[in-house]
Amino acid sequence: MTVSGPARPGAPDRAGLARDLTRLLGDGKVLSTLGERLNYRYDAIQFGATPLAVVLPESTADVVAAVRAARQAGVPIVGRGAASGLSGGAAPAQEGLVISFTRMTRLHIDPLRREARAQPGVVTLQVSEAARPHGLVYPPDPASFRTSTIGGNLGENAGGPMCFKYGVSGDYVKALEFVDADGEVHRLTRDAYDLAGLLIGSEGTLGLVTEATLRLTTPARYTRTLMSHFAEVGQAAEAVSAAIAGGAVPSKLEFMDRACVNAVEDYLQIGLPREAGAVLVVDTDGDDLETVEHELELVEQACMRACGTVRRAADEADSAALWRARRSVSPALGRIRPQRMNEDIVVPRSVLPDVVREIERLGQASGLHMVQFGHIGDGNLHPNILFDPRQDSPEAVHQLAHEVARVAIRYGGVLSGEHGIGSMKVAFMQEAVDPTTLAALWDVKRALDPGMALNPGKVLPQPEASDA
Amino acid sequence: MNNDIAAQHPDAQGQLMAHAVDACVHCGFCLPACPTYTLLGDEMDSPRGRIVLMKSVLEGELPLLDAAPHLDRCLGCLGCVTACPSGVPYGELISGFRGWAEPQRRRPVIQRLTRSAVLTMLPRPALFRAGATVGKYAKPLAPLLPQALRAPLDLLPSAVQPAQPLPAFTPAHGPKRGRVAFLEGCAQQVLTPNFNAATVRVLSRNGIEVVVPPGQGCCGAAAMHTGARPLALQQARRNLDAFDPAGVDAILSNAAGCGAGLKEYPMLLAGEPEEGQARRLASKVQDISVYLAELSAAGGLEPFMPTTRPLRVAYHDACHLAHAQGVKAEPRALIRSIPGVELLDIPEGDLCCGSAGTYNIEQPDLAGRLGDRKARNVLSVRPDIVVSGNVGCHTQLQSHLTRLGSPVRVMHTIELLDLAYRGEL
Ligand SMILES: Cc1cc2nc3c(=O)[nH]c(=O)nc-3n(C[C@H](O)[C@H](O)[C@H](O)COP(=O)(O)OP(=O)(O)OC[C@H]3O[C@@H](n4cnc5c(N)ncnc54)[C@H](O)[C@@H]3O)c2cc1C
Ligand code: SF4
Ligand code: SF4
Repeated sequence: MTVSGPARPGAPDRAGLARDLTRLLGDGKVLSTLGERLNYRYDAIQFGATPLAVVLPESTADVVAAVRAARQAGVPIVGRGAASGLSGGAAPAQEGLVISFTRMTRLHIDPLRREARAQPGVVTLQVSEAARPHGLVYPPDPASFRTSTIGGNLGENAGGPMCFKYGVSGDYVKALEFVDADGEVHRLTRDAYDLAGLLIGSEGTLGLVTEATLRLTTPARYTRTLMSHFAEVGQAAEAVSAAIAGGAVPSKLEFMDRACVNAVEDYLQIGLPREAGAVLVVDTDGDDLETVEHELELVEQACMRACGTVRRAADEADSAALWRARRSVSPALGRIRPQRMNEDIVVPRSVLPDVVREIERLGQASGLHMVQFGHIGDGNLHPNILFDPRQDSPEAVHQLAHEVARVAIRYGGVLSGEHGIGSMKVAFMQEAVDPTTLAALWDVKRALDPGMALNPGKVLPQPEASDA
Repeated sequence: MNNDIAAQHPDAQGQLMAHAVDACVHCGFCLPACPTYTLLGDEMDSPRGRIVLMKSVLEGELPLLDAAPHLDRCLGCLGCVTACPSGVPYGELISGFRGWAEPQRRRPVIQRLTRSAVLTMLPRPALFRAGATVGKYAKPLAPLLPQALRAPLDLLPSAVQPAQPLPAFTPAHGPKRGRVAFLEGCAQQVLTPNFNAATVRVLSRNGIEVVVPPGQGCCGAAAMHTGARPLALQQARRNLDAFDPAGVDAILSNAAGCGAGLKEYPMLLAGEPEEGQARRLASKVQDISVYLAELSAAGGLEPFMPTTRPLRVAYHDACHLAHAQGVKAEPRALIRSIPGVELLDIPEGDLCCGSAGTYNIEQPDLAGRLGDRKARNVLSVRPDIVVSGNVGCHTQLQSHLTRLGSPVRVMHTIELLDLAYRGEL
């Protein structure tokens, strides 16, 4: 048997899949025409195989029925949220069934327990909006938070600027309901074996999340923002290391290089310093104004020592504009070249200056257009290669991405901070993870999804030996 | 997004479409801004999905018929353009696409008839007025008619107001501060004749000379957006002849859709001999609110009378102002400058009200759901008056608020200003 093969041997009825699903679920929830299916082959970075059918479930029972029908037909299953993923996670590697959660949008806030119960299709921002009237917030804030779904966030264990101080999506999960590859429903809390933790970040390869109970917190009373710009990327990284070593715990600490700043300025026109080699945007927050100001002061001094020019946000609107700028980086890069390969490395903070400089050199030497930004407080960098497939060779792009991955590994870092491995980086995993660990990961996969039906071709590289 | 559209469609429209598809990085940031995605929750009815569908059709990968239902549901509201950080000119894509696709479509007879009736009547106020009068008598028969005929009937006003023709020239009141040409619009002359009368009064009061060039006609937006490109071209050429951008400070429109339509002439006429002329005209086009806001900044407006009691005024962003023309701040600033008025923003303000030109006729179900949602959002801020800058929104708001039994008054921004000048607010 090949690992990526269909769920069940026998005589799979692929053609009848859509028909069976429609019989089980009714007409409005099943998509079967080519025009409908074509649109479920991509995520934000990659086009994959056109699915045989698409289901838009409205309840856990619908998901169960769909999983069983796919099993019956012997086809793989790909879960899909808003398809804003940047590693090809939701783009099917093979023909099969796509289960798109965008209509499972029930959300319930329990202010007393400080929790939100969300179906997977709930858009991230909506959790915070629904919590706000109760004086609560949901901190995980990927730049895609207006679009991406809770299911997708958990699939990728998404993080955002807030994750430096407040953690990533997975840190806010109290309980999960999921449907396994057999169509059985499970409800997990985080006691005993942290199976929920295993599912979070597994990119839909171990189970399909159908409901999550999320922890809400109270927002910090005070927030202060500053922006600092530097002549060169290494200086910005030095300031980051120094500020944190000096005792500051910023709530957000973000970095963008010159090309990013210019792309955003083209889009928003809010007067960003186009000439700067690198820019940091920093928030400190807390309930005690004095501490918040003091921490900002620490950051400010670190920036100035690294030869940065500092501007404090005048008011809330000013700070909102700066953060909007940072959030717009990734999509605004589309203005430079139509396509991009997105890296998502994490390296120890102590080596940041060397890493950003080395990556910048790699980019310059390659002749391709490479830019960098990221949640630098965490050591999470997004070097992006922007390219035009009509002019640039895909091999060169891939090779440069691989070089970047190697820099991360060489400096003791990892391949993915938040966007996942997906299909984009699956090949790099072979080098990043030792064979024993990889074998253990495969064991987990086999235990939970023995038929290899869930999102095949993602996360785990085909091991040469262990698949026999 | 990779494509080889230009290779198969080498004309100017093909280039525009190829460029738009190219610019899309399929990040999905536009999804929550799209009214149809919000209602239906599927990818084909999202901006990103529609871009992929159009690309697939233009590249010959997908039959037009397979894509058509989803493309037909697009309101053309351009909420996606505002939301898109990559600067994808979606409007150019969908207009170009509809212009290319329409001649190849075979629509059912009733659809063909209503389409051509709408496109014939809308631009001709006299005809529209006559139609409306007939419609008034036909309305009681509505329940007996098939849905396809009932929808256009719903759109007609139940009372036809007397015409208020504009003089070809209105002098400035007091010292002259400027001179503008004014586009009368077509349907709104019949539906809401007071918009134009109020516009001329407010301009004149502020020292502006208003010329209403004879020979002008429909801006062509309705034709362009429904894919009737030859008709749109004909209507655009007529206006290019009628308006002389050199002689005036600005060419003003008080209907968001028409203003946007004029601004789209360079796109419509790309590759045509009049392209340069279209650019010159478009560069002079302004919405009435922008012109007044600039006038206010440069020396002030005549003072308004305070309202007789505190008034809560909700401002509804017409898509063709907010998204197509990027005008959001100016009307708000004007409304706020009336003493005694409190300005309110409407929740989900960026979501289209469902009016969108002929959408009520072609997609009555979705249009109705959006209209209902908008009306409920309006009511949630408890306004006395709701104001917008477009006749389509006006009609839609009016009909859905009425249906919900609400007494909230619906006005055009310029009517509010006009009433404030007259002390009648
Ligand atoms: C411009 C831009 C900026 C971004 N910024 C950030 C950022 O700052 N931080 C960050 O972490 N990410 C970021 N992302 C990446 C992406 O938005 C996140 O990974 C997000 O969490 C994906 O959510 P989604 O709903 O779009 O999921 P999808 O892309 O649809 O799916 C992602 C993965 O989750 C799986 N999945 C989806 N739903 C379920 C489910 N119910 N059960 C099990 N598996 C499921 C899919 O199979 C897939 O493997 C960005 C993306 C874009 C385009
Ligand atoms: S936001 Fe713009 S770039 Fe992103 S998918 Fe939508 S149209 Fe494409
Ligand atoms: S124009 Fe409006 S309806 Fe059409 S895709 Fe864009 S946002 Fe959606």
